[in-house]
Amino acid sequence: MFMFDAVVLAQILWTGLATSSYMVLFTIAFALVLKVVKLWNFAQAGLMAIAFYAMFAAVNQFQWPTVVAVAFGLLVTLAASLAFEIYGLRTLRARRTSSLMFFIFTLVCSEFAAYALTFIFGTEPAPLFAQIVSPVRILAGIAVSDWDLLAVAVTLVLTIGLALYLRLAREGQFMVAVADNADLAELYGINAKRAFGAAFAIASVFICAGMYLYGARTAVIPTTSLQLMLFAVIATLLGGMGNVFGAAFAAVALSLVQSYSVLVIPSRWQGLIVYAFLFITILFFPRGVNTSGWATRLRVRRAPAS
Amino acid sequence: MNRQRRDVLKAAVATALAAGVPAWAQDRSPLKFGLAMPLTGSQSAFGKDQVTAAQWGVESVNAKGGIQGRKLEMIVLDTQADAQVGINAVNRLISVEKVPVFITAWSAVVKAVAPIANREKVLELSVGANSPDIAKLGDYVFTTFPLADVDVTAVARYANQTLGKKTAAVLYINNDTGVEAAKVYRDAFEKAGGKVVAYEAYDPKATDYSGMLLKVRAANPEMVHIHGLITDLPQVIAQMRQLGLTQRVSSYSAGYNPNIIKQLGPAAEGLIVTSLAPGEKDSPELSAYIERWKKQEGRVPNGLPYTQYLHDGPIMVAHMFDWVLKNNLPINGENMRRAMLTIKRFELPLSGPVEVSETHQVVKPVYLLTVEKGQFVPLATVN
Repeated sequence: MFMFDAVVLAQILWTGLATSSYMVLFTIAFALVLKVVKLWNFAQAGLMAIAFYAMFAAVNQFQWPTVVAVAFGLLVTLAASLAFEIYGLRTLRARRTSSLMFFIFTLVCSEFAAYALTFIFGTEPAPLFAQIVSPVRILAGIAVSDWDLLAVAVTLVLTIGLALYLRLAREGQFMVAVADNADLAELYGINAKRAFGAAFAIASVFICAGMYLYGARTAVIPTTSLQLMLFAVIATLLGGMGNVFGAAFAAVALSLVQSYSVLVIPSRWQGLIVYAFLFITILFFPRGVNTSGWATRLRVRRAPAS
Repeated sequence: MNRQRRDVLKAAVATALAAGVPAWAQDRSPLKFGLAMPLTGSQSAFGKDQVTAAQWGVESVNAKGGIQGRKLEMIVLDTQADAQVGINAVNRLISVEKVPVFITAWSAVVKAVAPIANREKVLELSVGANSPDIAKLGDYVFTTFPLADVDVTAVARYANQTLGKKTAAVLYINNDTGVEAAKVYRDAFEKAGGKVVAYEAYDPKATDYSGMLLKVRAANPEMVHIHGLITDLPQVIAQMRQLGLTQRVSSYSAGYNPNIIKQLGPAAEGLIVTSLAPGEKDSPELSAYIERWKKQEGRVPNGLPYTQYLHDGPIMVAHMFDWVLKNNLPINGENMRRAMLTIKRFELPLSGPVEVSETHQVVKPVYLLTVEKGQFVPLATVN
C-alpha cells in the first residue's frame, strides 16, 4: 500500500518537475514551429536524434570538453534545421504543396535521420556520458540531484529567455506578427522567411538542450526521439495550437499527472496515461484547453453590479 | 575391347561400393545449425558478443577436424530480441536453411519460436534465457542454461539467510524475462522467512522509474532485487540512488556486465549478481578465452557467463551430430534430440559439465559476485 506521506508527495513533485524539463523543451520547440511556420514538424524527432548523436560523437569519439560538445551539437542541429527549412519546406511552399504532403515529408525526414544514425552509430543504447549518476543531496527529506537542478535551471532560463525575446526583441515581435498572419506581416515589410528561419534556429536551441538533459540521464538509441515526440505533440494539442507557453505548461502538467498517477495505479501502467490524454485531447479538446475563456467568465462573474 | 572391359569393371565396383554405404554418409557437405541472436537493437551489445563466442566455438570444432571430416557451419540470423523478428528468423532457418537444430536466447524469442520448433520437429536449444516457463515449452525445446529458479532462488535465499535481510522490494521488467523470475524471487525470499514489501513492474520502454522507486522508498525495504535487462538495469539503479535509496541491490546474471560499473561508478558498489558459469579459478580454459577477448576486442565480453555458454553451444551440437552420424541415422531434429538425450552429459570447456534431461531443466552451481572497489569479485558459491 503506497503511503500518502508529505515528504513522498513533495519528492514526487520535485522529481516530476525535474523530469518534465526535457519534455517542456521539446514541447516548446515543437509548439514554436507550429505557431510561426504553421507546420506539424514531425521532423523534430530526426533533429533531436541528430542533436544527441552530434554531442555524443563530440564527447565520446572526439573527446571534446562538454561545453564544446554542446556547442558542436547545437551547430549541427542548427545546420540540419535550416537545411530542412531552406531546401525542404521552401521548395514545398513554392510548389503550393498540400498539408498532407508537408506532414509526410516531415515524417520521412525523421525516419531517414533515424536510419542514417543507425548506420553510423548502431543500435546499442548509449548515454551521453560514461556515467549516468549525478551527486545527490537530501534537503528536508527530499532527494535533489545536481541533474535535477541543472534541468530546472536550464528550462527556466530558456523559457523565460524565449518569452522576453518574443515580447521585447524586434525580431521576436516580427516572429509573432508572422505567426498571426504571414501575408499581412510581409505587407508591412517583415521578412516571413527570416522569421521561419529564426523559429527553427530557436527550436534547435531547445532541442539541443533537451537532448543534453535526456542523454545525461538515460541511454538513447536512434529511434528514442520518435517516442519522445508523442509527449510533445500531446502537450501542444492540450496547450492549444499556437500557444507556446500553454503547451509548455501542459507538458509540466502532463508530466506531474503521470508522476502522481503512481499513487493510484501500478507503476507499469504509467505509460498509458500519455495515450489516455491523447485520446481525450483529440476527442474533447481539439483546440486545446481554453483557460483564457474561463478567466474571462470568472472576471465577468466577479464584476460588481453597477 | 580391353578398355571397354576395364570401364565396365570400374562402373560395377563403384556401384557396389555406393550401394553398401548410406547416401548421407557419403555427403561431405558442412553440418549446419542455426543461431538466432540480437545483432541489432537494444540487446545487441550482449547478442553480438555471444555470436562472437559461438563463432569461436565453431572454430574450435573445425580446428580439430570437424565432425567425421565434415565442417560445422553456423547460420546466424538477427532476432533483435524481439518475438516477431525471432519468428521470422527461425522460420528461415528451418524452411530455407533446413537446420535440424538451432540455438537462441532471450525469453520472449525462445517462447515465441517454441511452437515452430515443436511443429517442425527441429531441436531448439535455449542458451541464456532464464524464464522458468522455458522448461514447459514442448518436446523440442531444451535449455542448456539454468533457468531463473536456480540462480534467482539462490540470490533470494542468500539475501535473507546470509545477509540477514528481512524485507525486500522486487522490481522487474514487465515482459517474459521479468514476470516469472520476479515471482521466483518473491516466493524464494518469503519461503526463506523474509517479506516482500514492494513488488513493482516497469514498462520495457520506460526511461523514468521515479514513481516506482518512490513506492519502494515508502516501503523501506532492506534489500532491492531488480530483474531487468542490460539496458534498463543501470538506469533503474542510477535513479534509485538519485532518489536517496541506499539499499543494497541484487540482480541476476544480466547484471554481470562491466558496463554497469562504468555507467554507475560508485553507485554500483555492493551490487550482487549471479553467474552460472565457472570463473577462472574453476575453468583453466577460461583465462585463455578472456585473454583472447582482450587481445582481439580490447575488452572482456559483455555478459561473460553467457558467452561461455554460447561458446560451448556449438561444441554440444557437434557432439550430437557426431552421435547421429556414428549411428547412421538421418540428420534431422528428431535424431538430434535423441542424440542429446542419449549423450545426456556434455563435458564442455568453458561452462563446465551440462546434464540434459527429460525435465528440460539444467542444474548448475550458482556463483554470486559483488562489486567491490569498482570490480566484480566473488562473493559466494551456492550448490
